[in-house]
Amino acid sequence: MTIDSLAWVFRMDTPVTNMDKKVAAKSGPASDARPPRAPRPPRPNFRQIHQFPLPVNVHHVPPVIPHNPLSLISVVLSYLTFLISPPRQEVYSAYFDKATSSIHVTDERSINALWQMGFFGKGSLSRSEPSWLAREKKRRGLHDGKTSEEITRLRRTERRELKLERARMEKLAIEETLKAEAAARQSGASEPLDQVAQSIPRDDTTNVTAAATEKFSLKKAKEARALEARQARELAAQNAALAGQNQIESSSNGKSVRFSPVVRKKEFLPTSPSSLQLPDSVVDSFDSDDFPNEEHLQLSNEEAFFLVYSLGALQIYDAPLKSGEIQSTSPTTASALLQQFCHHSFQPARDASASIQPDDPFMISYTVYHHFRSLGWVIRSGVKFGTDYLLYNRGPVFSHAEFAVIVIPSYSHPYWSETEERKNYTAEKQARSWWWLHCVNRVQAQVLKSLVVCYVEVPPPAASVDDIGAVFGQYKVREFLVKRWTPNRTRD
Amino acid sequence: MADADEDVIQTPSNAAAQPEVDLSDETQDFRFLNHLNFFADASPSIPRRGEKDFEPNPTELQADVLSASRGAMHNALSYPRLHGAKTRVVAFYSPDGYIPPVQPDRVTPKASEEDGKSSESAPKPPRPLPNSARISPDACVCVPSPKGQFFKTMGQADSSSRVWLLPEEALYLIERGSLDIRWPSPSGFAAGPGEEDLSIPMSLQAAYACFMGRGDLTLERYSVYTGLKRLGYALIRAPGWCDDIEQQDVEASNASEITPPKLHGPGLAGMLGSLFNWIHDPRSTASTASGPIIGTGIHRHYMDVYRKLAIIPWYDPATAPERHPSDTTPPFRVVFHVYKPSTPFKKSAPPTPDFRVSVVSTRDQTTMPTMTQLGALLESTPLDPPRGEKMDRMMYMRLRHGYRNVVLAVVDQGVVSYLRVADSAFGKEKLYENKGGPQGPKRNRANYKPRKR
Repeated sequence: MTIDSLAWVFRMDTPVTNMDKKVAAKSGPASDARPPRAPRPPRPNFRQIHQFPLPVNVHHVPPVIPHNPLSLISVVLSYLTFLISPPRQEVYSAYFDKATSSIHVTDERSINALWQMGFFGKGSLSRSEPSWLAREKKRRGLHDGKTSEEITRLRRTERRELKLERARMEKLAIEETLKAEAAARQSGASEPLDQVAQSIPRDDTTNVTAAATEKFSLKKAKEARALEARQARELAAQNAALAGQNQIESSSNGKSVRFSPVVRKKEFLPTSPSSLQLPDSVVDSFDSDDFPNEEHLQLSNEEAFFLVYSLGALQIYDAPLKSGEIQSTSPTTASALLQQFCHHSFQPARDASASIQPDDPFMISYTVYHHFRSLGWVIRSGVKFGTDYLLYNRGPVFSHAEFAVIVIPSYSHPYWSETEERKNYTAEKQARSWWWLHCVNRVQAQVLKSLVVCYVEVPPPAASVDDIGAVFGQYKVREFLVKRWTPNRTRD
Repeated sequence: MADADEDVIQTPSNAAAQPEVDLSDETQDFRFLNHLNFFADASPSIPRRGEKDFEPNPTELQADVLSASRGAMHNALSYPRLHGAKTRVVAFYSPDGYIPPVQPDRVTPKASEEDGKSSESAPKPPRPLPNSARISPDACVCVPSPKGQFFKTMGQADSSSRVWLLPEEALYLIERGSLDIRWPSPSGFAAGPGEEDLSIPMSLQAAYACFMGRGDLTLERYSVYTGLKRLGYALIRAPGWCDDIEQQDVEASNASEITPPKLHGPGLAGMLGSLFNWIHDPRSTASTASGPIIGTGIHRHYMDVYRKLAIIPWYDPATAPERHPSDTTPPFRVVFHVYKPSTPFKKSAPPTPDFRVSVVSTRDQTTMPTMTQLGALLESTPLDPPRGEKMDRMMYMRLRHGYRNVVLAVVDQGVVSYLRVADSAFGKEKLYENKGGPQGPKRNRANYKPRKR
């Protein structure tokens, strides 16, 4: 690692540590109130791993300190080294897969580089970061540590169990009430029935029922679980002291709680989150140390075009690369790639002879992609929340996406309203129903994202698309932030 | 099932932290109504809502709770609604709109020719009020002797201190039971106690028939008006109320000149850096025609890389000229100025509105606005840039606030959804220049895990 990059790391470090401290201070009192959670395994040093925002090498000039003439020498030296042996910009290679209309990166080093510097692409067998190999190794017992998928699954299992516990406790409470009511009915058989009903005073219903129908929160369920676990442990200790025969009897006595079949089933789930255990024989048959990585990195067309055209950090070939073999064909040029992506932005793909229209879906989506990338956002597909894009600050491992973007074309140029036919065409292209907007908006509110409606002004068809920069310079982006307004809450 | 319930964000326990949950969406437990004392003057404590059961169960307890709740609701509904003798306000319907007060027998020479004074009815010393011009031509209900809190924010007083109500105001008051509208109106609104008896009270049905559609009042607009009014907001009609507003100043709506984003040169590079830049200037190999935009040479800083990447023009709301409301397309036009209950409101000189509301009926306008329509709507509102101590610190907050904003009330067959639309300029917030300080309130820091990435 060069001095320059170290300096960059250092610069990145300072504010982030401050932030981390704040988080720690904030979560301090909150964690007191909650029952202690099992210590989380330490997270990898994401700041170190993802220190570069783009897969582009940056060489900082060493700082010049006026009263230290030696610093000048280091500057001159750094320039001289660049002059003598210019550092090469790393160029990664990938190929276009027509069947899935996406870009595949199969080279291990390229995959890591593209993910770590700018969070490009997703693993074909993973949620986002290509982690299939790590998961597979773990499954075979070669490797420990948790991937993000496993953490999520664990969390879901835990919450599901807590919910089942809550349901069980509610059921118990209902049974208790029923029993009490039956007893009351039996004892008061002589008195009329409606008097039993009136035993609950009318005016105080709220207070009485508030106490009686008290809900069981997740917290309570947790506490109950902890209590039960302790009881079970005590019981186990007791059992150990007793002879083996008594054990069965005492345990059946100790548990008066009846489990619903669902809960019972839950109890016997394996503790490991990956319940899909292969039989041992199958595992043994593998050479456990070395097996190929079946996963590749999948780049969306926008990401690939950005890497090729804007950064020059990627080369795209038509066919998969063989390792070690020197590619016979030359990589696709940016303009040919643009053609290809535009044709593939339709389903089924358009004929290769078709010319690029200014409102091809790829042109519009790339305009938005480039716009947000050039502002420093990490922009990734928003398909999981029903939007076109999600905007991350620095990257998905650092913070949650704050904004979700939907893209709508706009045809405000006079060209598009010249003829009746064009008017109808553009009206259809721009139309989005209110229901659709409300649906998208409510989903974003639920996942705590702010909805950005991003309109892209489409220029009239250009004479030529030779100058890609000039073509995209004719589009224009305008963002509107849409949020549900609740008059109840803005009254002050 | 696992995805259905578990992917929902775990909501924190306090309601203040989850602004999206609207209590009015829930079915209410009406038993709390029993605790409201309708007759007592002493302010009652705010009743607590009961707990909610999600499923029926065979316990009698639940059945009792349910019937008690139902009984409480019926009890509350059966409360007799009367016009109290003390608070009774009588108004007269004037189908022909505003009628100037009758000229009394003697006119003081000081009074202007048109604004007469009615010395009989007005207890105050006669004073000509030059505000009859302010009475809207749509006003059609006259309140000869206004009293009560409602007239602080509603109606327009004429020279003889009669208050003229707009159709929506009259409808709101009659629906609320706060106004007794009489028709036919006695000639000249002399409002003598004897004449009142000759007229008959207007029913609610008649009020709807008379006022709906009058002066561009639609059912959608009225739903928004009455909904916000009941929540305590003060509403007045905005200049864009009428669909055919005359264009007043054409020069304001001249072609919007929008400045392209400024493509800064690398101004931050040090003196020596610029001196040595010729050695490996990435610009020399940079080409926006066929890429790569950033060139293939040595890059000194990521900021320079990002600056070179900025080739997509974006709209800058701060420099866009303000438009006249007449430039907007009719459904997307500000029709109400809304004031919070806490805002000091003066009828004669309304302050800057807290919210500007545009009412859209989903049955007439089935699609979302296009950029032109929405842009024109926002440009007809004044610039409201994100300023302030908090905004300066938090970028997310600035982006959420935007440079202009408007509230769209989307009415779908009587169901009103409000959407706040803001013109946020992402292009003005260069994220790459940010040094990683706090971006905005992290809404879910405490329970870090459950939120979705």
